[in-house]
Amino acid sequence: MINPLRKKKVEIEDAPLPPPRPEEVGKRWAIEARGIKKSFKAGQVMVDVLKGIDLLIEPGEIVLVMGPSGSGKSTLLAAVSGLMKPDSGSVIALDTNLWKLPRRKIDRFRLANCGFIFQGFNLFPALTASQQVQIVLKFMKQKKAARKAAAETALKDVNLGHRLRNRPDRMSGGEKQRVAIARALAKKPKLIFADEPTSALDGENGNVVMTLLRKMAKEQGATVLCVTHDARLATFADRIITIEDGLITSTNADPALFAHHH
Amino acid sequence: MSLALSTLLYEWRRYMAAVIALALAGVLMLALSAMFIGIMQSFTATIDKSRAQLIILSAQARSMGGGPGGGGGAVPKRVVPLIYRHPDVVEVQDLPNDFGQFFAEGKPNPSLVNIMVIDTTPNGVTLPDDFTDDMRRAIEPPYAVGIDVSSMKQLGVNLGDQAMLNGRSVRVALIMDGYANSQFPNLVMSRQTQRLMGRANDNQFDMLMVRIKDVKTEKDIVRVRDELNAMADGQYRAWTKDELSTATIRDMMQEGILAIILGFMNIIGFVIGVVITWQTLRGAILANIKEFASLRALGVSIGQLRGVVMELSFWVGILGIAASALLMVGIAALAKSANIPMGFEAGSLIQTGVLLLLISIMSGALTLGALKKGEPADLLK
Repeated sequence: MINPLRKKKVEIEDAPLPPPRPEEVGKRWAIEARGIKKSFKAGQVMVDVLKGIDLLIEPGEIVLVMGPSGSGKSTLLAAVSGLMKPDSGSVIALDTNLWKLPRRKIDRFRLANCGFIFQGFNLFPALTASQQVQIVLKFMKQKKAARKAAAETALKDVNLGHRLRNRPDRMSGGEKQRVAIARALAKKPKLIFADEPTSALDGENGNVVMTLLRKMAKEQGATVLCVTHDARLATFADRIITIEDGLITSTNADPALFAHHH
Repeated sequence: MSLALSTLLYEWRRYMAAVIALALAGVLMLALSAMFIGIMQSFTATIDKSRAQLIILSAQARSMGGGPGGGGGAVPKRVVPLIYRHPDVVEVQDLPNDFGQFFAEGKPNPSLVNIMVIDTTPNGVTLPDDFTDDMRRAIEPPYAVGIDVSSMKQLGVNLGDQAMLNGRSVRVALIMDGYANSQFPNLVMSRQTQRLMGRANDNQFDMLMVRIKDVKTEKDIVRVRDELNAMADGQYRAWTKDELSTATIRDMMQEGILAIILGFMNIIGFVIGVVITWQTLRGAILANIKEFASLRALGVSIGQLRGVVMELSFWVGILGIAASALLMVGIAALAKSANIPMGFEAGSLIQTGVLLLLISIMSGALTLGALKKGEPADLLK
């Protein structure tokens, strides 16, 4: 695995990616996206948000996708996670060719394999922390006792063992995001997608959240794809991919680069 | 507890409008019919409260409404011995009904009253079951009458006052409770007084009240009724009290203009209920749409989320029914205090409950479209 924390010469690659390198062939990827294109209509004109992106992520890798706003990083996340169908290209996630599946089966794939963490915490105001986590497990048809225990474990893992019975209105932003992480991770997903997970949090809480996310992902052996423009998160990643104007500009950027910008 | 129920209980303010809309829709559907039933019951108080188990009407009668003998003509005197032929019949009495003009002293205009004629013999078959011995004795003397406490003001008399009834002098000897009548005040007198006033008809009767012996269960009553009807040979028809009151209410509800008004009320109540409940549910779902979208992202199917919305609408319906019942109890109490008795009948109560549930379920179905706004991809910045 490539560790971005090791100082390494920055290579700015020309986009799009060259054809697969020899070592990539036959390798098993957690996510293998090829030729992803997506355009949106903005008023009268079509805007190409993704202009043919290839993305290869190894199992267990924690990958940060960074780039300026409007660069297409969130659209890329949506396309590879099965939330939004790209105009062209293919996404093979955990050996499943996602966009060849009917919508119902994509839902089922996400239920079984994907955890999501969003910028907004999106917690139901009516539910306690424990219930927030359990609700997903309930839809996965887990038994009551099992999901209660799983929720408790997941919340303890994010250091919220004392908050099991609290509703969101009694929790701080950092705590809410930790509940959202517990909700995403309680079902032991193999793929975790995070979209600006720290942008609603202050620096300290952001650090706590990312430390926990990294720790839990590593413990569970999950692959993490995290989209952010928060340079401070660079230290938490195994690898940083930069994207600009719908094209990948680097598949292994130097974290130090981002420290400079800020 | 399910997501739907927790949300409803925790964010009850958000759903209040729907619950109130359902409650009001229920009242709209029920109040008018309850008022009509109440009016009808105030005319038939002596039948409902009589100590008889069976009622004999003419053979053609479909219910109590529509004139003597239940709209099928009067019951002739010769029917009485026919009823006595049944070994279980112990007493048969006619229950006369009359109207009269009531003048209180010093009052310029007469009031029209509904005259109920009863037997004042102890435990008489036509003696209302809530009459105490003192009440019975109070109207035993000639020209003694009783009125309901609620009509004292309207009639302008107090206990012990003299008044003119159909040209004869009568004395108010009894003030009753529970005989309110918002149309024509109820007045009760003994059979003897009616005879003295020259208004008795001994050859033709409105209806006959029948007491049977050894009644243990409703089954005994039904058995005697069936046996009496088997012996009737087209000369009369025997009814149980419940059967007659149900038939009468149904008959009344289906009658022309009333049926149209009630049907109209139901439709208005339904439409208003659906629109308000739908919009409230929609607003509430849209307020939580990001939470729903995040569940979608995590792989919860749209069908499962639809289940949540439908469950939510079901619970809103249940709450609406409860609120409606509460409101109706309040309105009935208010109406009673204003001398407008209301009557409730199982059939229309059940019908209203079912309609309210239908309103909420339909609103839930209409709300399902709102879930489409919860695209998980929209959660990504």
